[in-house]
Amino acid sequence: MAKHIMSIDVNGDRHEFAVDDTDTLLDVIRNQIGLTGTKRGCTTGSCGVCTINNDKGESILSCLTHALEWDGESITTIEGLEADGELDAIQAAFVEFGAVQCGFCTPGVIMSAKALLNKYPEPTEEQINEGLAGVLCRCTGHIKVKEAIRNDFLIRRERIRRALAGNAS
Amino acid sequence: MLLPQHTYHRPDSLAECLDKLAHLDAGSVEGADRLARVQVIAGGTDVIFNMRLRLFQPENLVSIRSLPELQQVETLADGSLRIGAACRLIDLADNPLVCDRYPALKSAIDAVASVHIRNIGTLGGNICLETRCWYTNNSEEWRKGRAGCFKTDCEQCHVIPSSHTCHAINNADTPLALIALDAVLTIQSAGGQREVPIADFYRPDGIEHMDLRAGELLTHVTIPPCTDRTVFIKFTPRRGMDFSLGAVAARCDGTGQDAKKVSIVIGSISTAPVVLDAPCRLLEKQGLSDRAIAGAVAAIRDEMGEVTNLYGRATYKKQIAKTLVRRALVALREQR
Repeated sequence: MAKHIMSIDVNGDRHEFAVDDTDTLLDVIRNQIGLTGTKRGCTTGSCGVCTINNDKGESILSCLTHALEWDGESITTIEGLEADGELDAIQAAFVEFGAVQCGFCTPGVIMSAKALLNKYPEPTEEQINEGLAGVLCRCTGHIKVKEAIRNDFLIRRERIRRALAGNAS
Repeated sequence: MLLPQHTYHRPDSLAECLDKLAHLDAGSVEGADRLARVQVIAGGTDVIFNMRLRLFQPENLVSIRSLPELQQVETLADGSLRIGAACRLIDLADNPLVCDRYPALKSAIDAVASVHIRNIGTLGGNICLETRCWYTNNSEEWRKGRAGCFKTDCEQCHVIPSSHTCHAINNADTPLALIALDAVLTIQSAGGQREVPIADFYRPDGIEHMDLRAGELLTHVTIPPCTDRTVFIKFTPRRGMDFSLGAVAARCDGTGQDAKKVSIVIGSISTAPVVLDAPCRLLEKQGLSDRAIAGAVAAIRDEMGEVTNLYGRATYKKQIAKTLVRRALVALREQR
């Protein structure tokens, strides 16, 4: 079995390494790049804990993606959400509203929520349900998750207000 | 569950891809062995899944995901819409050409799995979706608890034990709408190309469930213009993720109860989508009155064939099929 050299942009950093034909994107993210925030769950596309975002900010299941298919592309994982030491608004909302139980699915839920908010900045109930349908919380803690997503815009608004106030002073 | 060993190929053009398929398929025979030599992969949501379950163990994977020839959606001179097989489902669901002209296809696309899957799954992949049953839809370790089946290593079917063929279900959603819309598939190989109406594409055999020969590739779907009323309804335990317990696509011309041409396609109840005949002819004679709809629903039973199960019992699925057809016909009557 020959190894192939592939390169991929993860959270803005270029990575180049050798992969096997049999590697999935999930294997590469966890084992080669060492970003273990993306979890390995069912590996058959049912649970969604391996969700990452593609270059368009859409949710993708890394367990069902052949690594070599993504040679030359760019992706965002849960580690790539925070910027300048500050959590992304959706992460802050999850903290604020306690949208976590055991925490194993949280990276997948947050990346799904991020993709949802990229498409619909203030999603309806229906859109939230649709966006989260592909990821399962086995603790069944979906209520707080939805609350966090509904209120994500409050945190974004507050940050903008703070930034404007900072500029003014 | 690691992927089985294989060699990955990523051709740069359609011509190179067809050459590669012809070359890799050379010497292979029809039947299950064909899958063992070469497998086409686009989004991979079904292919990787089946590879993890060891139902696909191809020697070669040929990627068509980035072939530019298969990414386009274009309107032809006669008003038909031609869609490349590697177009992502999410892009088609957001495409005004699809949404405005073929609302039933849009509903069918929206019904496919979850948004995560649609973000990467393709139309061609959904059309070529592998058949599955309650036995095969499990890991290799789980399956070891019982004897194998036609899809693995044994000459028996767990769904219908006395049968001599595989009865896995075709669970795809978009083909139902495409059959109702009289879509035509373009299938290319290094030797040339042929056009197959999608209604003739499926076979009642869970192993060789498509009319796709060695070295061939589904490249385009062409949908003729349609001004008729259309509807697509899918029934699942949980909305937004599951395979359907039953799904229906229906189409008719006219307005109100008046209908001269009716077509109904039921999916997810057997090995191939079921295109109804007698119930449609009855409706064409009698229109969409309550009485005619009841008559048509009663006549479905004779045409359902061998109903197989993935999640529900066969008797339950027969009931679902009837209910779905009734709902679809009522929905058609209420349009315009």
